[in-house]
Amino acid sequence: MEYVNPEGLRVDGRRPMEMRQIRAEIGAVSKADGSAIFEMGNTKVIAAVYGPREVQNRSQQMSDQALVRCEYSMANFSTGDRMRKPKGDRRSTEISLVIRQTMEACILTHLMPRSQIDIYVQVLQADGGTRSACINAATLALADAGIPMRDLVTSCSAGYLNSTPLLDLNYVEDSAGGPDVTVGILPKLDKVTLLQMDSKLPVDILENVMQLATEGCKAIANYIREILLENTKQLEYRRGS
Amino acid sequence: MLHNKLFPKKTRGGKIIRQLREHYLRDDIYCGAPFCTVCDSSGARLSESASTILVVDTNVVLNQIDLLENPAIDDVVVLSIVLEEVKNKNLSVYNRIRAICDNSMRKFCVFSNEYHRDTYVKDMRGETKNDRNDRAIRVAAQWYQKHLGGAVKVLLITNDKENKRKASEEGICAETVESYVKSLDRPDLLDLLVRPSSEDVDMEEVEDLRPSKRKVIYSEHKPMSEITSGLHRGIYHQGKLRVNRYNPFEAYVGSESIGDEIIIYGRSNMNRAFDGDIVAVELLPQDQWKEEKSLSIAGEDGDEDEDVHLAPNSADVAPRTIPQQCSTGEVNAGSCRPCGCIVGIIKRNWHSYCGSLEPMPMPGGSGGVAHALFVSKDRRIPKIRIQTRQLENLLDKRIIVSVDSWDRQSRYPSGHYVRTIGEIGDRDTESEVVLIENDINSRPFSSQVLACLPPLPWSVTSEDLSIPFRQDLRHLRVFSVDPPGCKDIDDALHCYALRSIYFLGYYFVSNISPSCRAAYSHLYIADVTNFVFPGTPLDDEASQRGTSVYLVERRIDMLPKPLTEDVCSLRSDVERLAFSVIWEMTPEADIISTRYTKSVIKSAAALSYVEAQARMDDSRLMDPVTTDLRNMNSLAKKMRLRRIERGALTLASAEVKFQIDTETHDPLDIGMYQIREANQMVEEFMLAANVSVAQQILKSFPLCSLLRRHPTPTREMLEPLLRVAAAVGLNLDVSSSKALADSLDHAVGDDPYFNKLIRILATRCMSQAVYFCSGDLSPPEYQHYGLATPLYTHFTSPIRRYADVIVHRLLAASLGISKLPPVFQDRLQLTSIADNLNYRHRNAQMAGRASVELHTLIYFRKRPTDTEARIVKIRSNGFFVFVPKYGIEGPVYLTTRAEKGSGEWYVDEQEQKIKKMDGSLSYSILQTVQIHMEVVEPQPNRPKLQLTLI
Amino acid sequence: MRGIQLQLSQTQKVRLQKALEQLESLSSKVNSDASVTIADSIPVNHEDGVLKGHGTTDLNGEVVATLCGVVERVNKLVYVRSLRSRYKPEVGDIVIGRVVEVAQKRWRLDINYSQNAYLMLSAMNMPDGVQRRRTALDELNMRCIFEEMDVICAEVRGFQHDGLHLQARSQKYGKLSTGQLLTVPPYLVKRQKQHFHHLEQYGIDLIIGCNGFIWVGEHVEARDDMVEDQVNQTDPQVLIPNKDSVSFEEQEKNYTALETRKYICRAANAVRVLSSLGFIITLEIIKGVFELSLSSNLDIHDMLGSEFCVLVAEKEAERRSSNKKKR
Repeated sequence: MEYVNPEGLRVDGRRPMEMRQIRAEIGAVSKADGSAIFEMGNTKVIAAVYGPREVQNRSQQMSDQALVRCEYSMANFSTGDRMRKPKGDRRSTEISLVIRQTMEACILTHLMPRSQIDIYVQVLQADGGTRSACINAATLALADAGIPMRDLVTSCSAGYLNSTPLLDLNYVEDSAGGPDVTVGILPKLDKVTLLQMDSKLPVDILENVMQLATEGCKAIANYIREILLENTKQLEYRRGS
Repeated sequence: MLHNKLFPKKTRGGKIIRQLREHYLRDDIYCGAPFCTVCDSSGARLSESASTILVVDTNVVLNQIDLLENPAIDDVVVLSIVLEEVKNKNLSVYNRIRAICDNSMRKFCVFSNEYHRDTYVKDMRGETKNDRNDRAIRVAAQWYQKHLGGAVKVLLITNDKENKRKASEEGICAETVESYVKSLDRPDLLDLLVRPSSEDVDMEEVEDLRPSKRKVIYSEHKPMSEITSGLHRGIYHQGKLRVNRYNPFEAYVGSESIGDEIIIYGRSNMNRAFDGDIVAVELLPQDQWKEEKSLSIAGEDGDEDEDVHLAPNSADVAPRTIPQQCSTGEVNAGSCRPCGCIVGIIKRNWHSYCGSLEPMPMPGGSGGVAHALFVSKDRRIPKIRIQTRQLENLLDKRIIVSVDSWDRQSRYPSGHYVRTIGEIGDRDTESEVVLIENDINSRPFSSQVLACLPPLPWSVTSEDLSIPFRQDLRHLRVFSVDPPGCKDIDDALHCYALRSIYFLGYYFVSNISPSCRAAYSHLYIADVTNFVFPGTPLDDEASQRGTSVYLVERRIDMLPKPLTEDVCSLRSDVERLAFSVIWEMTPEADIISTRYTKSVIKSAAALSYVEAQARMDDSRLMDPVTTDLRNMNSLAKKMRLRRIERGALTLASAEVKFQIDTETHDPLDIGMYQIREANQMVEEFMLAANVSVAQQILKSFPLCSLLRRHPTPTREMLEPLLRVAAAVGLNLDVSSSKALADSLDHAVGDDPYFNKLIRILATRCMSQAVYFCSGDLSPPEYQHYGLATPLYTHFTSPIRRYADVIVHRLLAASLGISKLPPVFQDRLQLTSIADNLNYRHRNAQMAGRASVELHTLIYFRKRPTDTEARIVKIRSNGFFVFVPKYGIEGPVYLTTRAEKGSGEWYVDEQEQKIKKMDGSLSYSILQTVQIHMEVVEPQPNRPKLQLTLI
Repeated sequence: MRGIQLQLSQTQKVRLQKALEQLESLSSKVNSDASVTIADSIPVNHEDGVLKGHGTTDLNGEVVATLCGVVERVNKLVYVRSLRSRYKPEVGDIVIGRVVEVAQKRWRLDINYSQNAYLMLSAMNMPDGVQRRRTALDELNMRCIFEEMDVICAEVRGFQHDGLHLQARSQKYGKLSTGQLLTVPPYLVKRQKQHFHHLEQYGIDLIIGCNGFIWVGEHVEARDDMVEDQVNQTDPQVLIPNKDSVSFEEQEKNYTALETRKYICRAANAVRVLSSLGFIITLEIIKGVFELSLSSNLDIHDMLGSEFCVLVAEKEAERRSSNKKKR
């Protein structure tokens, strides 16, 4: 199948280096301490953060740092087939773990000893790149909850189809079976916190693809920063003095 | 850059699934006109001074691709929606239009109207897909007109009346192809035009021209919806139609739903289907099923019959003979195979065909439009009706014709003339036909490809030597053994005896008994990958060509000539780069170790098989090369013996060899290709290398290695062989390749040729070996049946086979010499490469055979001959004979065509005999007969070889 | 962007937008570029010496924010005042909490902090008002004082080795009943001299906990003098809230007038509106909203509607601009 036509357009009309439209909204769950909705094209993810709060299971309490937990799920209506999604299947367990580890790496957990932070992410609509969208949404929700972090984590995926590196694969491209590299970075520290790929790719090409994904992450980081700053400003001026 | 506009698209699959797709509309898609002031014109494709820009619609591209390929048509805008539709309807046309668009000489421009902000059209309620696309084309045309202003005329080319009318209403200039071409005033282009099918625009005109043909000949094709539901309910069966190469009135449809092949007899049952079409078949009632016995050689139509052919050498080439379920008395029900008729065509496989016009008297007024019947070279294709204005030119020419349509009223499909190849009977023309028929690219290499070559004259540089992984083996006594006159020498050998070997951990020294010596055998393969880098135009071209093609009088190279004959070729007395396999062997030819390395060698001698054989046989010669030859030969013999013990089949084929007159290029003599010990020696080392390399690459790359497998023949495939064997009282055990090999060895008849004949028949039952990607199959399927080895690949001829180039890269990567090119990551692409290689390989073989056939015909044209032949197949009105001396096979009729089926002869199925009713005369299978061979010309320009019984 | 989740008509949208813009223009003059997000570097003059406070970290000699919030500078100290986060206790804060567990000699309270806070049995006055050692019997009777889910008002005592401790050594602290507990984000509450308020007109109490828990309830007489810490004054009627012993008559006595209950609801809704708009919550402003609703004769439930919300925003903008002019 042709994923990039000779005119250099992808199936949805993007060029290989272009991301889908992204949109973020803070404060979607009023009950939660922090929450956000993040959209990458048709992929839509909601994240809610509770905490830091008292550790529920006291045996897990750590006296020097906070406990971070994450639960990922996919809404039954998130895909076209509307199948019942079993909770806790291997895929969601894995993604939960990935998100938890990624977020844990940037939360200053030592500032909140003996507490627990719960991150709930749910995919409302899936169209490829859910993993990245979840991480971005979780970052926003954590920032909204006022949890101290080393840096924002942003994530973006890139793939390699028709011998072309493609940024931000959508579902059609994702299901092509080619390599799909998900990268998560700390933009300020310029470090990679997440790198996932489940197929083979020669090292030099991987570097290109990763570079592309990193560029994507940076663009997302800029957007997220804008959103957060705008949000902070609004909160501040509304509050008044 | 990104113009964001999001909308949902609903598509329905088998289950109803609502799908949501994004579709970004952009403002950075440019019109492609260099004079445009708004758009970025750096990549503009249209010509500077274009006064008219053509916008073509889908049907124009689909039907008039031959016209578009003509350089007279230029400044064409191809819309992406048109490309999309063409791609869905006909992939080969799509590839052709893409090729035109990519060609920098042509002024074709692709405009992505579907992604342009202003030309995207939303689906409207109640609008069909076609209407929507037509509207999109009109919108795009309108946009062009508005965008470019009055300076140029934008002309929409469409043959759809409705579309044209709407276009005119919307203020777009629209014309039909015919009127446009007429306005160009180029009568030669008019021949390229496809006549609209009778339902379309100028119905009355067609009616006028052929009033007598207005009766319905074929039953109607069922609509697609009915076919789909019929397939679901099991009434219809889907499959690919394969027309019998030897009898165009008989075709088979391999159906998965039945698990058997359905036979289709006759043109009306075939109902306008072509070979290769995907069709829907309905089974006929059982009482109409024909028995196999009644199959005769020739068809029901009098004017087409059997030609003499080269003896096929595998089941893929030969027509699939029908397995017989029961050979005993209870004949009727069991011996019938399902027969059917075609009710619909799911996918057409129309392309262009080579052939000539049926001889006909010149029509009165020359220069006018004449109708003619075209006869394809490929007998599976029916005659095609064409219209031409240059009949007198075409009558004695080989021409290419495309099929356009076939309606119910006409007996033959209608098509149009594409181009002329040359005169009939001319050897160059006929060779060209052979190449075209087999889809072989014989064009010279493009300048981009030639730019990839190393600077010439090339020689080994110190740089090459300084590379650490390249071993300097120039001091070794290396020689090559190849067919005489071979210029693309891709392998060379070297062997030396070791006096000491490291064996089982003990340092074993022996100089007493020569039998204790071990030997190093080296095999050098031209290091083609040192010159052909992945991803270059050279590599792409080689990958497309797949293999070199050897015709009787010429060779079509896979790689450009400097590489083939000089830089890569391991010629004698020059330093060349090689990829070597080095075995350490015991005198018993057990391999102790295998090593692979890139190397530099200097061949001492380039021997031919004959020379090598002569050297070995001449006991007086004791020079080093000869001793090496003898040593290697003894090793090879042992290896061969071991291989045969493992169950490798020694199969035989009837390869012939021509002696060609150097000046006229006419064949002077024809004879069976003789296989010498030297051939076998080289072959043995090649096989060993291929097996070793296959193991090595599979170990390193279990999922992306390119291997070659030979599937185990099924019982049904061996059925004809077993029947023949049974008839001559031979008991063949086909349970395994070993058993088959053994029983073939024991099949010794009363005459010396009997064994070979049986082997030839056995070979014919096997399918061909194929390339595949190791990730696509499970390890047990990797097996190579004929060679009785679990793994096999091709490594030894990288100059002439692309598969070997791939394997070279894999091997180099597995040794860490180079990185694995990215194509190996893409399993689908790798599979498609393997498929292409198989296709090219088969075509190359077919072309080679066709070339031999052609030359056989030329040879016998002046030399009517009497010779001995063997009966290999019995039919109701005659039998097929095989002529061992010339390697050809053809029919011998016992009855003349007129009295066909008169019942004078009857076939004894069990004994494989044809008997005269009164019992006075009978012919049985494998019997030797004397025949007379002569070239006859029943029709002018149609010479054929006729075999008659003496 | 944190939007206001209400169905607004077009004109309401415009009005709200206008009001918010006015608010923005008012505040932007005060501290324009002080807002930072995570990983923004905070410009500092290193020569003066910098003390990095909350919400900052050091990255290659740069001061970098780890929170979204507003940069505050006090002399050498640079810190980020976070918005929207959980409560950060400071000693002496008046907080409202809910009992989650009755444990050994202590109650565990949820006060919207990252951990539960402890209220030791010894850190509160006994109902009888007598200062004495706590006996084992007292420990057994802890549930008579506070039970799980009770709402309690207390003061932050400080951090001990095992966590945050509260104290309630005053009659004004203790269990809260007949009223509503509202939770608002803590950043909307400003630390002030006075957190206990009595709206005499309407007979309701308003306790604005520093942790963002706000209590609106019926006025309790015992707390009439809230300014001073009157340890010795006792009122057994209020301070023995033993459910088991509540008789029918007492229930009768505890009966709250409908009018008062309506006022409680009105005040609670005023807080809700302010919280949803993200305006700072002080007595003055709550009163303003309360009275606005009364004067415009609005039903209590209509206070949560979009119209009132827009009205409050407009009023707030007006108020702030007039404040500004005064200054």
